[in-house]
Amino acid sequence: MKENKNYTINDWHVQHLGDHAMVFLLPSIIDESLVDQIMQFNFFIESKKINGIKDIIPSYHSLTIVYDILLLQNTMQHSFACHDMIEFGNKLLLAFFNETIIVKENKIKNEIIKIPVCYAIEYGIDLKNLSEIKNINVDEIIKIHTSIIYNIYCLGFMPGFAYMGKVDALIQMNRHPKPRPLVYGGSVGIAGEQTGIYPMNAPGGWQIIGRTPIKIFDPIHLAKFKVGDRIQFYSIDKATYLATNEYPTI
Amino acid sequence: MSITIIKKGISDSIQDAGRYGYQHIGIQPGGYMDYLSAQLANYILNNAITNPVIEIHFPTSTFCFESENIICITGANFVPVLNEKSIAMQTPIHVNKGDVLQFLQPIHGRIAYIAFQGELTNDKWLNSFSYFAKRLDTGSTLEIVKNERTPKDPSILNNLFETIETKVFKQAAFQFIPGPAWNDLDAASIQQLLNTPFKTTLQSNRMGFQLTGPSLNLIRPKSYLSSAVTRGTMQLLPNGALIILMADHQTIGGYPNLGQIILVDLPRFAQLGNDSIIHFSLTNVDSAQQQYKSLQNRFTN
Repeated sequence: MKENKNYTINDWHVQHLGDHAMVFLLPSIIDESLVDQIMQFNFFIESKKINGIKDIIPSYHSLTIVYDILLLQNTMQHSFACHDMIEFGNKLLLAFFNETIIVKENKIKNEIIKIPVCYAIEYGIDLKNLSEIKNINVDEIIKIHTSIIYNIYCLGFMPGFAYMGKVDALIQMNRHPKPRPLVYGGSVGIAGEQTGIYPMNAPGGWQIIGRTPIKIFDPIHLAKFKVGDRIQFYSIDKATYLATNEYPTI
Repeated sequence: MSITIIKKGISDSIQDAGRYGYQHIGIQPGGYMDYLSAQLANYILNNAITNPVIEIHFPTSTFCFESENIICITGANFVPVLNEKSIAMQTPIHVNKGDVLQFLQPIHGRIAYIAFQGELTNDKWLNSFSYFAKRLDTGSTLEIVKNERTPKDPSILNNLFETIETKVFKQAAFQFIPGPAWNDLDAASIQQLLNTPFKTTLQSNRMGFQLTGPSLNLIRPKSYLSSAVTRGTMQLLPNGALIILMADHQTIGGYPNLGQIILVDLPRFAQLGNDSIIHFSLTNVDSAQQQYKSLQNRFTN
């Protein structure tokens, strides 16, 4: 069951992040109720179409806005009667809490995105090692990895890469101390309590347990996921993987 | 009209003001490393200051002009020569079909810019020519539709070049604004960061510059939830070293964020050679934004 904790305006605080960004912070804990509110605040700021805001970046417990100094100062003065960044940030928060009570309740997402993964040993190149270290057989690892509905807490590391949690403690494993020079696009990995999919071929240190045939990033459609999405993996066999693979064959 | 790369350099690329609006899906902004020198080159040619330019590192590419154009070179001095004859920087230079542009040796600075007259018609991605994974290769071309704008009269530039030159190349401490993890540094580390020199290293590229210097420590070990970083973010690595994030930085970081170097000092940082000695100093947002505004206002007449 989804916990629906309500954060009040007093749980937030605004802080400068240098001279062209600022960050809105909730308490530093990993909890999907934070992500819900962060995304609602994100949509709220977006809907205001504030001239001068260049990026709005959600992550775990924070929402960062990156701005153009000249444009945003102009907007602040003319549309918000405000000269100070922090004051402006607090005005945004106040407006969010005053205007969006109904939206907040309705925005709670329900769709679960299902992602096929082939957990064959040749794709899940760290599966055997994980199985030995954790003393859990591979089938059981697959069962555990596919049983959880993961929440997306942020995107980063590379275009389209989503950090999902929480991985069951039974199969958590830290990154390789030394990253591999090449991990294939579509590879599904574990890093501590997080799981994620490599959107493209890249160097990386995550423990690789399988591979999805589904493209999660391309230059035209961009990222398949956004922060706040809920994901569940399901196991497919190699024939299905090969028949549906959207990545360039290696 | 086109410019062809007849021999590629170590890391040259087309850059503009970067790609914003996509950091929430992990797409890094990119853009000119030394935006002041890039803006200056465009300004002198009477282009929009956000026009794309060629960003070059030494040893640079060799360029051939397929038709006439007017170019302007700014930033690092790599001794530009056109058909083997020395040419001036910060000055509009007329080039003819078949002319070859080379750079002979690095005198000072890390990055130079070549602006050209006209509209670049190469493919953009998400509204920007900057692309982190793309470097100019031998045989690459820049397709340009030339316009007939007259370059700025040098007499009205009113010491603009000297102002930018001072800002980009004169030694001074790098001003920064404390970040979310600043208060987690122990007192000795704060003193060290403010009073001890740091040094740039070979681990310096468009993503970030790793520094050597005093090892910095947190009051107590602490793990941070990943959160957005920016150009200029000063991250503390697990080994106690500092890394300064640059144009092609990842969008999210989980290392302690000690502060961000301010925008007006970032071009100067980008121009640092390896093994440069640097200092840091504290500033605040009001001062940083004021400095940025007064410098940008120089480009508005």
